[in-house]
Amino acid sequence: MRGYKNKRLRRAMEFLGMTAPAVIAILVFVEIPFLMSVMYSFTRWNGLDKVPKWIGLANYRELLTADRDLALAVVFTLIFTVITVVVTNVLALLLAVILDSDIRGRNVLRAAFYIPNIISLIIIGYVWRFIFSRGFDSFSALTHIGLFQLSWLGDGKLAFLSVVLVSVWQSIGFYMVIYIAGLQTVPREQLEAAVIDGAGAVGRFFRITLPLIMPSITVCVFYSLSNALKTFDVIFSLTFGGPGTATTSIALDIYRTAFSDNRFGYGTAKSVILFLLILTVTVFQLTGFKRREVEA
Amino acid sequence: MKKTFLMLVLLVCVTALAMGQAVTLKLFFYSPELIDQYNDMAKQYLAETGVTLDMTVLQNDYVTVLRAKLNSGDIPDVFMSSAYADNDTYKDYAYDLTNEDFMKKLEPTALTGVTVNGKVTGYPFLVQSHSFIYNKKIFAEAGITALPRTIKEYEAVCQKLQAKGIQPFATGFKEWWVLPQTAWQVLAPIKDSYSGDYAKFVDRLNSGSLKFANIKEMSNVFDVLDLIKKYGGPKPLESDFNDQCSLLATGKAAMIHQGNWAEDSIRKTTPNIDIGFLLGPTGNAADKAGIMFDSNQTIRVAKDGKNLKAALAWLKWLTTSEYGKKWIPDKIKQLSPIMGAKASTAELAQATVALLAKKTPSYSWYYQRFPNGTEQGLGIILQGYCAGQTNRQQTLDALDADYTKIVNASK
Repeated sequence: MRGYKNKRLRRAMEFLGMTAPAVIAILVFVEIPFLMSVMYSFTRWNGLDKVPKWIGLANYRELLTADRDLALAVVFTLIFTVITVVVTNVLALLLAVILDSDIRGRNVLRAAFYIPNIISLIIIGYVWRFIFSRGFDSFSALTHIGLFQLSWLGDGKLAFLSVVLVSVWQSIGFYMVIYIAGLQTVPREQLEAAVIDGAGAVGRFFRITLPLIMPSITVCVFYSLSNALKTFDVIFSLTFGGPGTATTSIALDIYRTAFSDNRFGYGTAKSVILFLLILTVTVFQLTGFKRREVEA
Repeated sequence: MKKTFLMLVLLVCVTALAMGQAVTLKLFFYSPELIDQYNDMAKQYLAETGVTLDMTVLQNDYVTVLRAKLNSGDIPDVFMSSAYADNDTYKDYAYDLTNEDFMKKLEPTALTGVTVNGKVTGYPFLVQSHSFIYNKKIFAEAGITALPRTIKEYEAVCQKLQAKGIQPFATGFKEWWVLPQTAWQVLAPIKDSYSGDYAKFVDRLNSGSLKFANIKEMSNVFDVLDLIKKYGGPKPLESDFNDQCSLLATGKAAMIHQGNWAEDSIRKTTPNIDIGFLLGPTGNAADKAGIMFDSNQTIRVAKDGKNLKAALAWLKWLTTSEYGKKWIPDKIKQLSPIMGAKASTAELAQATVALLAKKTPSYSWYYQRFPNGTEQGLGIILQGYCAGQTNRQQTLDALDADYTKIVNASK
C-alpha cells in the first residue's frame, strides 16, 4: 500500500515539476499583473504621484452612472463587433469554400488573402489612412466617381464603415485558413452519398458540411468576437477615435482615460469591466455553439 | 602568445574604464521637426566638452512615455514639457533653477510661464507665436490688399479666394491640438473681463463658478470654427498638420492656423515662399485681433537625475556659449528667450517681432493654464462639433462636463 502511495506522490511531483515553468511564467506575467490591476482599479492615481490613493468603489460607481463617453463607446463597440464578426465569418467561409474547390491559382489566391493578416494593424491603419484621403483624392480626380469624393475618414458614419472595412480586410485571411482546414475534414463519402441521394450543392452545404465544420466555426467566432470587443490598433491609427468620438471603441476610451486624462485608477476599473464583458459574451457564445457540434 | 593576450586584456580594461568615465546625458525631447538641429547641437557639444548627449525625440506619445519613464525610475536627465499647468504636474520631478546664474541671462517675460511663487522650475526653450499664416503671393493674386481682422472681413476674403478657385483654409481639424489653439485664440480677449489677469479667469473655471456655457464670447469661437470648416475644402476633417503645411506651401490653400514652428516644414517644400501672420479674429472688434505669443515649450532638469551637474552645465552652455546663443535664431530659426539674442532670419519670426513693435495685441498662451489632462479632451469635443456630432449647446455642456471631470479627478 505504501509503495503505491509513494508512486502516486512521485508522479504528482513529476507532473508539477514538468508544468512548473509554464505555470510560473503565466502566474508572473498574466495572473499577478491582472490581480494588481484589480487592486489599482480601487484607487485614484495620476501616473506621477508616488502613492495611489485608495477610494473603494467610487470608480465603478462613476463608470456605471456618470460616464457618457464610456456608454457611447460601449454602444459603438457592440455594434462594431456584431457587424464585423458576422461579415468576417460569412466572407471567410465563402472564400474558404471557393478556395477549397478545384480552381486555378488557388494557392496564390490563398496566400493573397492571407497576407494582410501578417502585417501589423498599426501599419495597415496608416496605409489605409493614406489611401482613404490622398489615394481617393487621386482616384476621384481620374475617374470622377462620387464614391471617392466622400470624406471616408471625416464623416462620422462613413468613418464607421471605413473602420469595419479595414478590420474585415485584415482579419479575413486568418479565418479563411481555419475554415479551409475545417472543410478538408469533411468526409468525402458523406458528400458523395448525398449526391447519389439527389441533394443539390446548397443542400449539401447546409445539411452536411456546415454541421460538420461547427468546431471551426466555434473557434473562429470566438476568436473574432473577443478580438472585435478589444479593437484598438486599427482605430488608433486610422481615425484616432474620430471625428470627435464617432469611432471610439472601449479600448480606445480606456487608453484616453488613462493616458490623456491621466486617470489611471479609473482607466483600470474600465478595463476590468471590459474583461468581464468579454468573458461573459464569449462564455455564452462557446456554450451555445458547442451544443451544435456534431460528430461525423 | 601570453604577452599579446595580456596586452589585449589590458586594452579591454582600459577601454572599459574610459567608457565608464565619459558622461552621457539622457535627453528626452519632443518636436521631431527639429531633429536635425538637435543633432547638430549635440555634435557641437561633444566637440567642445566631450559629453555625449543621448537624445530621444517623440511627438504624439511623448507625455505617455515620459510618465512611464518617470514612474519606472528610468528618469531622463533633461526633459521637455509645456509651461503653466505643467509646473504643477512635474513639481515632484523638476529641479529648482531659481538660483542658477545662467537664468539671469533670460528675458524676464519668457520666465512668466515657468515661475510659481517666485520659484523657477523650468528653462524656457522657445518663444513662439501662432495665428493664421497666409501665403502672400496668393493674397496678392486674388487682389486682397487689406488684411482681415474681424470675422466678417475674413468671410469676405474667403469669398474672394474661392471665386479665384483657391481653397481658403487647410483646416488641420484631424489633429486634436490644432482645434484648441485655433479656438482659444478667438477667446483670448476674455482677460479684459478679469482685469487683464488670465489666472483669475482660469481660477473661476476651476472652482466651477464660471462655465463655458455662460461665456457669451464662445459664440465667436463657434463662428470662427464654422467659417474655417465652410471654406476648408471638400474634406475638412481629414486635414492634418502635414496636409496644412503642404497645401500652403504648394499654393493650394491660402491660410492655415499654425505657429512659427511650421515655417521649417513649409519651407522644405517651397524654399522661397513668402508667408506672414494674419491677426486672429476675435469677433467683430478689429482692435482686439492679435497673435498668440508666449514661451511654452520648456526644458526641465530632473531633480533625481543621475547627471544633475552635467545637465546644469549643458544648460549653462546653451545660454552662454557662442554656439548656444546662436542655436535658436540661426539653426532652429525661431525666437530665443535669451536676452539680447539676435533676431532670427525666419520670416515668421521676423513678422512676429515686427507686429510686436507695432503694438499689435499679443496674448499669452493662457489655455496652457487649464488643468493638465484637459487639452486632448477639449480638443476632441471641439472636433466633434466640427464633425457635426454635437450642436453648440451640447458642445458647451460637453466642454463643461470634461473640464469638471478633470478638476474633480485631481482633487
